Amino acid sequence: MSRSYDRALTVFSPDGHLFQVEYALEAVRKGTCAVGVRGKDVVVLGVEKKSVLQLQDPRTVRKVAMLDDHICLAFAGLTADGRVLIDKARVECQSHRLTVEDPVSVEYITRHIAGIQQRYTQSGGVRPFGISTLIIGFDPQDTRPRLYMTEPSGIYSAWKANAIGRSSKTVREFLEKNHKDDMTRDETIKLTIKSLLEVVQTGAKNIEISVMEGFNKVTSLDLAQIEGIVADIEREKEAEAERKRSRLAATADIQAAMAAGSSSAP
Amino acid sequence: MSIMSYNGGSIVAMVGKDCVAIASDLRLGNQALTIATNFEKVFPVTDRLYVGLPGLATDVVTLRERFRFRVNMYTIKEEREIEPETFAHLVSSTLYERRFGPYFVEPVIAGLEKGTNKPFIATTDLIGCLTLPKDFAVAGTASDKLFGVAEGLWEPDLEPEDLFETISQTLMNAVDRDAFSGWGAIVHLITPDQVITRTLKARMD
Amino acid sequence: MECSFAITGKDYVLVASDTNAARSIIKMKSDEDKTKILSPHLVMTYSGEPGDTVQFAEYVERNIRLQHIRNIHELRPSSSAAWIRRSLADSLRSRHPYSVNLLLGGYDAATDTPKLYWIDYLGTLAEVPFAAHGYGSYFALSLLDRYHNPEASLEEGVATLKRCISEVQKRLVVNLETFKVRVVDKDGVREIEL
Repeated sequence: MSRSYDRALTVFSPDGHLFQVEYALEAVRKGTCAVGVRGKDVVVLGVEKKSVLQLQDPRTVRKVAMLDDHICLAFAGLTADGRVLIDKARVECQSHRLTVEDPVSVEYITRHIAGIQQRYTQSGGVRPFGISTLIIGFDPQDTRPRLYMTEPSGIYSAWKANAIGRSSKTVREFLEKNHKDDMTRDETIKLTIKSLLEVVQTGAKNIEISVMEGFNKVTSLDLAQIEGIVADIEREKEAEAERKRSRLAATADIQAAMAAGSSSAP
Repeated sequence: MSIMSYNGGSIVAMVGKDCVAIASDLRLGNQALTIATNFEKVFPVTDRLYVGLPGLATDVVTLRERFRFRVNMYTIKEEREIEPETFAHLVSSTLYERRFGPYFVEPVIAGLEKGTNKPFIATTDLIGCLTLPKDFAVAGTASDKLFGVAEGLWEPDLEPEDLFETISQTLMNAVDRDAFSGWGAIVHLITPDQVITRTLKARMD
Repeated sequence: MECSFAITGKDYVLVASDTNAARSIIKMKSDEDKTKILSPHLVMTYSGEPGDTVQFAEYVERNIRLQHIRNIHELRPSSSAAWIRRSLADSLRSRHPYSVNLLLGGYDAATDTPKLYWIDYLGTLAEVPFAAHGYGSYFALSLLDRYHNPEASLEEGVATLKRCISEVQKRLVVNLETFKVRVVDKDGVREIEL
């Protein structure tokens, strides 16, 4: 009987909230930012990388994980929870292949992950996962890229482009303004980096990009490549600002001329 | 056909003066068909303690893994190396755990006690009944032949090199009369300062 | 009546398996692939109780793949062999044991050595220079005792393997027409047409 007392349970507050789940979302909001963008036949994950300590091995700090040949996952929130969820998902990917011979579809594994997350909001003695995930990939025998998001509550949804983690609202608004359908590979990567730069002040060295183009076709961009694209973006911004400045100057000139003209009129 | 002689293989251990030796053949068979001639059945437990596991080869490997696990746990928890007698009881209890579905292995244990360097040998049956002989211990498909030769060759207080000669002759002559053992042999001679391991040039037919 | 062989050479392992699928005295299929590529440098032949074989081989395949994904690195041949052996040994004492015999050929990229393991349904594991399962082993093993050369080039290895196969085709009462042959070396696993 005493057992029923020492089990924490996620219970409703009188006005219908699950506080534990909302706190988990708070943990996500404190986590580093991750962005997913879908292009025509490519899908890109970008994550904000915390700078590693001087003596730390950067290879051991990874925020993008392969779940199977055709699925990648990025998360924001508690890294330790992420690891556990990733392992469960990897086992399910292989188990699915074993039982029905086919690789999982992106929606299937998303639903599975969201299912696990939901379970942890409704059973005793556990706490919810403090992570949101972005899941990208391709369905078997299909060339269309997929992008899904899951949340601690167990909600999952499909997106054209989305962001999770720190300042995700800013990034999402940026994506809403700039996303186009059927972008090329380069456009997709550029948009991903551009949107991340909205919140990552330190630039290329704190950005990690994974590009997925089909089964077994995952590449992560190295620092030089990212730096190159960041430089391009900077240049474009500079040119844009320059144009704006000259336009402003021109307008001012015209106004000045008009003002002079009117005053000198008889 | 008994399960105990499905894969074949034999082991002998002998006591000498401040030393002890353990030897085995190297055959792995499938009944009469020889599969491998490099299958070792004697494994180190500590620097001065060895265990030989003749019997069903799958259980030989499984038990080696289990003994390694239990000895490592003992070493970590007790912060000292396991003594031969303690290990013998560990072997016995591990086997008796499976009293009604046994591992088909009859272990032979040989080692030197710490400090005194007193030789220790032991055998158990497949369900862990310990026997602690004073002179020599045999097991495996050639055990009957080993008993005969060892009975004739062994004498008390053999020096290391004499013990090596005795155990080598015992093993080789016994396994040559056994169709399920042979195809090479290996001897471990445990003395207070070192373990000498030698592979013997045996009949390969 | 199934047959599989494997031999190591200088820097490769060759594995071969017959391609018959039979139920009692009836041959149901003659192009069944009874080998499985477990990871980039690991290949396995399987034979034994129909049903158990495919089931166990796929179970192994998925678990080795999972290890690969979890650790980024592929599991080394010796570790893979130990894991597979333990699975069979545990299965042996379960309510329904798998009865599957395996030959596991791998290339250990860390030490640049070819590895070959003979594993039977009991969970017996032996690392060997050459191996065989089935009735063919009675012919092939004695033949390989005479002709196997651990330093042989791939061409010589294939020639030796052909000797084994033709011996079986000549002397075994069952007709094993075709063999699936795979080689694993530093470049991975690939098929060889005889």
